[in-house]
Amino acid sequence: MKGAETLNNSYFNNSLAAIMAVLILATSLSACAAPASRGSFIEGDVAGGEAETLNWILAADASSFGYVGYTLESLANYDNQFNIILRCLAKDIEVSPDGLVYTITIRDDLKWSDGSRVTAEDYVYTLKNLMFSDWLNYNYRDDWHEDVGGQKVFVTPAVVDDTTFTITRKTVQPEFIYTLYGLVPYPKYIAVKYEGDVDAFTRAREFNDLSYTGNLGPYKFKQWLKNDKYVLARNPQYFLGKDNGAPYFEEYVIKMFGTSAVMQAALEAGDITYCGIEPQNVAKFKKMHNITVYTVPTRGYNIIAYNQRANGWEGLRKKEVRQALSMAIDKETIARKISLGFAEPAFSFIPSSSPWYSDETVVKLGVPPLNDKQKAMQMLKDAGYEYMKNGDRDILLGKDGKPVKLLMVTTPGSDVVESMSLLIKQELAAIGIDVEVKWVQWPTLLRQYMMNREPGTDKEPRYNNGPLAVSDEAWDMTLMGHNTDPLAPSGSRVFFASDGGLNSFGFFNEQVDQLFQQIRSEEGLDKGERARMYGELARMISEEQPVDFITYTRANRGFQSNVKGIEPGINMGYNYYLWRFE
Amino acid sequence: MRSYIIKRLIYSVIIAWGIMTITFILLRLGPTSPVDRYILNIAARGENVESVKQAIEARYGLDKPILEQYLTYMGNLLQGNWGWSFSTSQSVADLIATHWIYSFQLILLATIFAIVLGVGLGMLAAVKQNTKVDYAASIFSFIGISIPGFWLGLMLIMVFAVYLGWFKTYYDTNYPIWSLQNLKQLLLPVLALGIGELAGYLRYTRSAMLDNLRKDFVTTARAKGLPEKTVIGKHVLRNAVLPLVTIIMFDLGSVVFGGAYLTEIVFGIPGLGQVSFNAIFANDYAVVVAVTLIGTFLVLFINLATDLIYTYLDPRIRYD
Repeated sequence: MKGAETLNNSYFNNSLAAIMAVLILATSLSACAAPASRGSFIEGDVAGGEAETLNWILAADASSFGYVGYTLESLANYDNQFNIILRCLAKDIEVSPDGLVYTITIRDDLKWSDGSRVTAEDYVYTLKNLMFSDWLNYNYRDDWHEDVGGQKVFVTPAVVDDTTFTITRKTVQPEFIYTLYGLVPYPKYIAVKYEGDVDAFTRAREFNDLSYTGNLGPYKFKQWLKNDKYVLARNPQYFLGKDNGAPYFEEYVIKMFGTSAVMQAALEAGDITYCGIEPQNVAKFKKMHNITVYTVPTRGYNIIAYNQRANGWEGLRKKEVRQALSMAIDKETIARKISLGFAEPAFSFIPSSSPWYSDETVVKLGVPPLNDKQKAMQMLKDAGYEYMKNGDRDILLGKDGKPVKLLMVTTPGSDVVESMSLLIKQELAAIGIDVEVKWVQWPTLLRQYMMNREPGTDKEPRYNNGPLAVSDEAWDMTLMGHNTDPLAPSGSRVFFASDGGLNSFGFFNEQVDQLFQQIRSEEGLDKGERARMYGELARMISEEQPVDFITYTRANRGFQSNVKGIEPGINMGYNYYLWRFE
Repeated sequence: MRSYIIKRLIYSVIIAWGIMTITFILLRLGPTSPVDRYILNIAARGENVESVKQAIEARYGLDKPILEQYLTYMGNLLQGNWGWSFSTSQSVADLIATHWIYSFQLILLATIFAIVLGVGLGMLAAVKQNTKVDYAASIFSFIGISIPGFWLGLMLIMVFAVYLGWFKTYYDTNYPIWSLQNLKQLLLPVLALGIGELAGYLRYTRSAMLDNLRKDFVTTARAKGLPEKTVIGKHVLRNAVLPLVTIIMFDLGSVVFGGAYLTEIVFGIPGLGQVSFNAIFANDYAVVVAVTLIGTFLVLFINLATDLIYTYLDPRIRYD
């Protein structure tokens, strides 16, 4: 019996060990195995956010580049910490020590739909024959221009071998590399058929149905019904999915909604997988067990621009007056009560999420201790303005002895902007300034208030026609939203440089101009030095207050809780091809 | 009659051409530009607005004199080329061919729903004047007229799609047009669009019926011993329906010219209402001119049809 018992025990132990081994193996295998791809990921978007074209070189809107991006990877993108994530690049772009030559090496496993390889020639062809051409009129060709001796010239691309090409500049622009990371190619073998004929190129079937994208993106184009949905099917050949089987959704759908209310109802009902959530609805969605809400920083901020041109209140041309007005407006209240905590006070054109943001150098007007109405009133008095009493109220008088009344222009349609403008009116009333808020449609704001020209001339109206130019309608403040590229905030020179194409509020400062120029020169090649210059620029602009930066906005993204793999952050979509249903 | 119809059709073409030309010129003289909507994106990229503006205008020929643009457009139109929609990146003809059916099915079903129930309930309310049925119909019509269609749409979605889960929250274009699922998902949009019209038809029908019920020919018909059904259906309704036709056709014209837009927006139906509205905001001139032209033709056609229906309903009317 004992022997039998021992045998039995041994048999049992061996069997148990075998079963355990199989279980462990199975468990580890399942742990190592790639997630199975299944289901449709449906992203909700509201009308107005829809792309205009898949023929990306013709696009001027941001959505079109986004739509194409699902099927066509750029050279690189960025994670939430702005680290470079290589996509079509085999290795990071090499920059010559003098900052003039960029060497780009692409992967050797990139294929077009006909099976042919994507080569450096395709990239160089796209640049030279399409983006730089006269016949196609690429909208963003200025990205590839440089100023040489007062002349605009294109950078020089050249093929080195199948996977390598170079871009040579004549002038140093340290932030040019970010333009390069975003580059995507057209297939030369198709594009040559349409070369020189803009109409044929615009209507080319291959470019409008993205049938050429091969293994270049996690998804392939399936259907686009305008005002309704953009449907992409899983691309099993995706070059980044060879080892891990990604992407993991059979379909990726962007569904358009006419109103955000219905879109959020669709998320609540489980009809869509993901959409943005408005601040006032976040608490409700956070209570739902089937929804996960992520609050993430954005690259956007709200500003009040002060009109420093001749048709604005003359006080706004003084730095101290602008500072006083900004000091009276409580940014923390705006962030807390109007944006319901989904915003933070802003002090610079560089978003706080940017690696170039410097919290130490900016002047923090609008938050304690620089949110002080008494001090603001004193500053206005010091600037030469007087107050008169009207009952309990102090009324600020202009140089003409009349009460100061300012016109603030903004656009309708956003509850946040409406509430913000009313609060600003209230805040400035507390320092004796009466503000009239005027809501006008966007085209009217652009034409009547932002565009300007020198009086008495036949010049075509532009957003900045020089220091003598004024808009058709007089105004004092505009309230609007802005966006800045966190990696290359020097793009904001369009607003703050004297020759900035969107400097409609008339801010002219030589030191600011010089710093913008220096950042985009050899001096900016050294990242430490560039950071110092950005810090100095942010200080100078926050001190000059050509605009009052109100709040940096945060966005709320609602997902069905069974979506895994999401890394919340400013670039949370950077790894979307790895998202999956649990 | 034939010469009358031909004459009206010729007038329609001339009127439509005139409206199209005015629209074409006004769009280009107006203060907006296709570039307006890109300003913030251009700014975020740190780009020069003027060079982007020039590039866009040059690519789509908007930098040419208006007369040259107009002649090119008319030349293309006569060859059946409606132009290219740059805001949707497809030909205008394809765009309209794809989307008209979504508006058409909604308008058609909502109109049938409103006419059948509106006229039916209106007749009932008139015949049973000053009864509970009449009072209930009056209250219903009062509420129906007062509720805005878009609000009703949102409420229907919240109740029937979100809370009860009987419907999807949005119109799903995956279902074929000729399918029961499609018919089912059109129920809420049809209610949202049709209730207001239904309430109006109910009131008009009731009022017109009551007006006719008091007339001598009704007394005569009843005195002749005609069955009540015949009196109401053949004599009273036929006389009451004439002004109703004017109202229904007028409503149809309004709906075609944008009335269905809000319902399309709320339920996410990708019809021509949405197409034209988005085109206006995008300054997509080719689409705006095309939908204006189509809308004009439809309204002119509806007017012609109304006049022809009169002759059928009232043989005394002659256009000879």
